[in-house]
Amino acid sequence: MNPFIHPALFYRTDQEYLAALVPFAAQGLDAGQPVAMAVPGRRLDVLRAGLGALARHVTLLDMAVEGRNPGRIIARILRRFADRHPDRHVRIVGEPIWAGRSVDEYPACAQHEALINLAFDGRDVTILCPYDLSTLSPRAVADAYVTHPVVWEGTDERTSDDYDVPGLLSRYNEPLPAPPSHAVFEVAGTADLAAARRFAVAHAGGLDRVADLELIVTELATNSLRHTGGPCRVGVWRAEGHLVCEVRDGGSLTDPLAGRRPPGRGQLSGRGLLMVNDLADLVRVHTGAAGTTFRALLRLP
Amino acid sequence: MRDARDLGRHDHLCWSYEDTPDFLARVREYLAEGLELGKRVRYAALGASPDDLAGITGIETALSTGAAQVTPLSDTYSGEPEEHVRAYAAATEQALADGFTGLRVAAEATPLVSTPAKLTAFLRYEHLVDRYMARRPFSAMCGYDTTVLDEHAVTQLAGVHPCANHPTPFRLHAAPGGEVVELAGEVDAASHDLLGSLLERIDVEGDLVVHAPDLAFIDHRGLLLLADSARRRERSLVLRTRAVGAARLGDLLDMPDVRVEQIP
Repeated sequence: MNPFIHPALFYRTDQEYLAALVPFAAQGLDAGQPVAMAVPGRRLDVLRAGLGALARHVTLLDMAVEGRNPGRIIARILRRFADRHPDRHVRIVGEPIWAGRSVDEYPACAQHEALINLAFDGRDVTILCPYDLSTLSPRAVADAYVTHPVVWEGTDERTSDDYDVPGLLSRYNEPLPAPPSHAVFEVAGTADLAAARRFAVAHAGGLDRVADLELIVTELATNSLRHTGGPCRVGVWRAEGHLVCEVRDGGSLTDPLAGRRPPGRGQLSGRGLLMVNDLADLVRVHTGAAGTTFRALLRLP
Repeated sequence: MRDARDLGRHDHLCWSYEDTPDFLARVREYLAEGLELGKRVRYAALGASPDDLAGITGIETALSTGAAQVTPLSDTYSGEPEEHVRAYAAATEQALADGFTGLRVAAEATPLVSTPAKLTAFLRYEHLVDRYMARRPFSAMCGYDTTVLDEHAVTQLAGVHPCANHPTPFRLHAAPGGEVVELAGEVDAASHDLLGSLLERIDVEGDLVVHAPDLAFIDHRGLLLLADSARRRERSLVLRTRAVGAARLGDLLDMPDVRVEQIP
């Protein structure tokens, strides 16, 4: 039997939230299990107050900050905590989806929820994912049944008949929205990387996070050159409060967990997409037989 | 870089050339400036002749008094990097004892790097002698014939000199004082192989301290290559840089044996 447990927790009120999560933490701590809870902003205040004295035994993280980009949650929150305790069952609460997630963010959030199942398959870990039914869209709730094998609601624990990780990953591997007209720079080989950086910065239109943009464009283009053996095209534009850096190549991405695994010590490769997930506020990917598009978004002040 | 004068940077110059008369013109510039600075100067090349220095003001007197010397290349290099540095150190101290302000050498070094094995040994020599030059009044101009050497060899040689007329993505050489390595330029996938190969030639006691005030960019793999070089010596990496991205990477990579320090 798979020791990994990944329920969605449906709640409507703060009372229902605490009635589920406080005992989840308390029972874990009583059993000597490490407990971490990563929930967004105001929910963190509610949870901290509800935990009372227990709070100082729980690792509390603001998901809206640490997990702003859902692409980094597995490596930087879930695996980082679970890997620190390889000898014991670990309990984690992760709430990556809330009503404030934008239409651009949501598909990446749903993909993240599905990928948790692949990343933790066979691990002695419970990851409980709260869903606020009072504010979330019907689509988000329906998707929670697809990304979680079980659903908890009050005292009810039911198996999800809709659980379908490959189906969800395929459904949200959708062509990205058409960009506005923008300049494009072709990277034919590694000798063009320095020019690609200058192109990206020149078309960013003034940016505080120039260093982040330089790293993102370099790591994405390097990743494309390395894995496809062919050229890639870099595009940069501004849209809806973000700077968007896009890299298109002719390859297809076959590893759904690329960029989501923490690196081993001394590992010299395989960190490029992980770095991009760390640096960007959102990363969207579309891959298929015709090629792969990466879009890294930096929130503008 | 158009000529071989007023270089600063402990005056260790790599000059790659296609045209011998042009190279000899640079040699004369370099050595004439050395004489003006009160140094003993030396020209070393296969078949080197005093005639090659004709035109330098006062060269006849300098040659007769020992202020200027011309030597065949075979007399200058044993093939063993440490021994070669010791020989130049002794010659530098002798020049000082003889009342000069130091020693300045121009050498046509192409025959010393004509095979991969020779190139490997000579890159190590260039690194060691660069560190010596950063500490003592010895300077050298190393000439390399690009009609004989391939682009990769010339790029590697230029990459270990603080001054070069051949473009390289970055430079790795001794910092003032000779104690740490200095890295300048940009490091990305175009130069990972070059960086990896040059790091194998360097020899640093203690932690690998990389002084990088003029490092404009380094990607994550470049930083990991530096860290790996330190780790293979069971030492830590300290990167001192103004590059904001390097500090971001240092935080994200979160490796206990890597420290990125921001310098003003």
